[in-house]
Amino acid sequence: MWLQLLINTISLGSFYTLVALGFSIIFGVTHTFNLAHGELIVLSGYLAYGLTRFWETPFAFTLPLCMLAMTCLALGLLALFRRLREPYELSSLVFAFGLALVIQNLMLFFFTADYRRIPTSGPPIRLVAHTLITRNQLWLIGLSITATVCVSLMLRKTFLGKALRAVIQERETARLAGIRVEHMNRIAFAVGGALIGLAGPLLGQSAYLHPSGGMEATLIAVVITLFAGAGRIRGLLMGAWLLALLESGTTLWLGSNWRELVSAGILIALLIWKPEGLLARKKSAAEL
Amino acid sequence: MSPPSSSRSIALLVVVGLTLVLWPAGGWHTQLVCRVLGFAFLYATVTVAWNLVALSGLISLGHAAYFGLGAYAAALLDRHVGAQAPVTLAAAGLCAAAYGLVVAVAFQRLRAASYALATLASVEIPKVIADNWNSFTLGSLGLVGTRPLPAFSVAGMELDLAHNITAQYYGLMALLALACILHALAIHSRWGWALRAVREDERAAAVLGVNVFATRLGATVLSAALTGLCGGLYAHLMGMTEPALVFNLHISAMPLVFAMLGGRFRWYGPVLGALVLYGADQLFLHPWLPAGHAAIYGLVIMVMLLFLPKGLGS
Amino acid sequence: MKKLGTKRIVFAILFALILVAGPAATRIDAAPISIGSINPLTGKLASHGREILLGIQAAVDEINAAGGLAGNRVVLHSRDDQSRPEVAVGQAEDLIVRRKVTALVGGYVDSLVGPLSQLALRHHIPYVASASLQTHLSREDNPYFFRISHLRGLSEPLCGFVTQALGARSAALFHAATPGATELAGELFRCLQEAGVTVTVVEKFRPGVPDFSPLVLKLKPSPPDVLIAATFFQDHLILARQIRELGVPIKAYIGPWGVSYPTFVQEMGKAAEDLFGLCAWKPGMALPGTEEASEAFTRWFREKYKREPTSTVMHGYTSARALLDAMARVVGAGKPLTGPEIARALRTTDLLLPMERVAFDAKGDPLYYRQTVVQIQNGALVPVYPAERAQGSWVYPMSLSIQP
Repeated sequence: MWLQLLINTISLGSFYTLVALGFSIIFGVTHTFNLAHGELIVLSGYLAYGLTRFWETPFAFTLPLCMLAMTCLALGLLALFRRLREPYELSSLVFAFGLALVIQNLMLFFFTADYRRIPTSGPPIRLVAHTLITRNQLWLIGLSITATVCVSLMLRKTFLGKALRAVIQERETARLAGIRVEHMNRIAFAVGGALIGLAGPLLGQSAYLHPSGGMEATLIAVVITLFAGAGRIRGLLMGAWLLALLESGTTLWLGSNWRELVSAGILIALLIWKPEGLLARKKSAAEL
Repeated sequence: MSPPSSSRSIALLVVVGLTLVLWPAGGWHTQLVCRVLGFAFLYATVTVAWNLVALSGLISLGHAAYFGLGAYAAALLDRHVGAQAPVTLAAAGLCAAAYGLVVAVAFQRLRAASYALATLASVEIPKVIADNWNSFTLGSLGLVGTRPLPAFSVAGMELDLAHNITAQYYGLMALLALACILHALAIHSRWGWALRAVREDERAAAVLGVNVFATRLGATVLSAALTGLCGGLYAHLMGMTEPALVFNLHISAMPLVFAMLGGRFRWYGPVLGALVLYGADQLFLHPWLPAGHAAIYGLVIMVMLLFLPKGLGS
Repeated sequence: MKKLGTKRIVFAILFALILVAGPAATRIDAAPISIGSINPLTGKLASHGREILLGIQAAVDEINAAGGLAGNRVVLHSRDDQSRPEVAVGQAEDLIVRRKVTALVGGYVDSLVGPLSQLALRHHIPYVASASLQTHLSREDNPYFFRISHLRGLSEPLCGFVTQALGARSAALFHAATPGATELAGELFRCLQEAGVTVTVVEKFRPGVPDFSPLVLKLKPSPPDVLIAATFFQDHLILARQIRELGVPIKAYIGPWGVSYPTFVQEMGKAAEDLFGLCAWKPGMALPGTEEASEAFTRWFREKYKREPTSTVMHGYTSARALLDAMARVVGAGKPLTGPEIARALRTTDLLLPMERVAFDAKGDPLYYRQTVVQIQNGALVPVYPAERAQGSWVYPMSLSIQP
């Protein structure tokens, strides 16, 4: 049973990581507080739903298509966000709030208010005697780790990644050092969009799709990103898994009615203990 | 401080204020407008209260905690003790102020995103307690049957806050006026300058002799008390209190949107944002597009930010 | 400075457009009779609110197709309540003041129905609630509030089914942290205990939890015979699936809400097999004596709205039919169509509809509302309990070998 709980927690944590990753990259590099993050994930989920239901696309093929579509959409949104004035973080937050409302209600109009689910690809796989892992958990864990490793490698090993990190840490200095910040913004939105595109179909498969279902995803992304510090991939992974572990643990031992209290209490305690974020060595650049 | 065109904007404000005051005397569908704008006044007060903290340089995402605590304090006193409305409302303000004090002290080292996140999480604590203390708060069932506000007479005028919508309208307007005075003070007085100094540069403010902690503490507690009072009023006006309703994220997010769109640095900005957006949404968008009003509302927010970046009050 | 000027003008025009277009677009229809409906049309509850509205619309369309109410066309004005009571009250006031509606109908959640019932009393406008459960809402001092559903009609058949039909020894109760679900859970707990059923676990959670596996694992050490999940559509989509995936050997899974829908079966596929739900009506399951009316309604509804009518749609339809019937009687008696007259007529309502025999007690509660337990068998909803409504026998224990 413990192994089973661990697997489920890891899979939930992987989902949280994936949801937070895109938000974190966009927020870290461009300081755009994209409250419409969850809505975009749900939109991508609906796209995948349409592909599987009406064109019978295999699930694996929907992923690149959704990623591509969401990348294009994110770049389009960047053009809108760029027109906002100072204070950019707050303006973008409120702007994205409006955007979230628009997307939510357009989805309500086009996809109706019915709940949708993308069918699972096959029966669960038995690991040991009483421990199972479902196909979508496999997808979730595998893709989440792959995405995290890819983003992490890109940030650490490539020249582009170094430039992105420079922008995350010191935007103005990076500009002075000759980094084309505008170009970096585009890359961040493209990467963030691709991650949103990846998260959508997985959401549709492991949970369900509903036009107003984006808010929870946004909240998770915001909490984990602000907690870990924008653009900190390891912190993100730890934050997401910790949150998942806390939620599962509390539900199991104390009862699900205390789930939110324990998560919130521990979050507050950690913030008071380390005001600059748990893993931060110095102040992270993005502010609200 | 005042812009060159201040006389014009003051004239405009006087006109708007007078219209609102005289509306019940013979405007268009007075009952309806009074009911909708009454709630707009309530939310405008919450927005003003939120902005008091924002003026000290902290963005709070947890005002639903104060609102909900106020609502629960009023509803519980009404239910268990049978206290009169002035007592329940005072308790609502005090309870929320106490929580504000805790928040201000506990989060004194937090800034910017950390503060926003901590306040966002701070809503969960009273919410989960209200949701689970079945013997006292009735848990998820919520409290129903909270008595309406009382009727009393002022200078020979009968003011029936329980049933008369117009009386409620004026009562809430008076509350908003009070909040506006506080808000104007928080911008233009000596205390306002201290707030501004703390917002712009804490270290410089401290060097100049401003007590950064005390200034923020004052702003937070005052803001919490005002929000709690609004929560208490909500409990009496709606006659019911449920955890999911009064500790709603919506109540935390709304002041931010209203204040940003109204203009955060004018004393009338947040009020203008709340009245125009809430009023237009409820009175015009809802009837026009019963199922799609929220999309237009979102679009209006987006367009306003693109074309009026400093808010309506600029 | 000049640039700012043009922006302001653009903005002013935009606002003016909204201000002008709003009222213009909703210009009052020339029809003399209008009724209003307030439902959650956006947000989390949108699917339910929209189904209820569709049911009400169907009743109005039906009466208009038959020549209207004593020759007068009936117009339905609908509004969204955004799941906030102050919005519900404001919009209802708008309908009463500006649209001059003679009655209100609809409503999905009790926290929204409650304030509306008070407003109805204030304006002397009758309000027939479509889906309202909580006991405290109906009061004898409010002669303008009526509803076609209540909690007893849900809890009694459910409890009877678990204790008498299934003869379960133990049960677990999961419920959402909403007032209605909490009251139902409390009611069930009491009733199960009285019948000698051990309630092993009672768990409350917020609707919209993304992962139920810790809760499900909690059941594993000593699995109860029956799991009652008093929660909504979306939670069943995850919970019911995880019960199967994790192989908890429960014998029955009952979802009082959200399970007995064709869309649920469609989205869940095989994983929906053997689950129990409750519904008041479904195509092919009507009160004795209304089979033909039910059949005709189903056919007409499918053709006109291109979708399957559900129990929720039927709740909206039934409430609107009850209201329109009372209004027709007022007009037929040559009395003026005012709130007090309609309320008086509603009090004497005795109407046999496919979902229920509609008649109200002194508090405005329905006298004959009773839901039926259905089970999903081979992708179809089969009524199984109580015996007089049953069309098949139940499968118990449920088959756990079916995998999603």
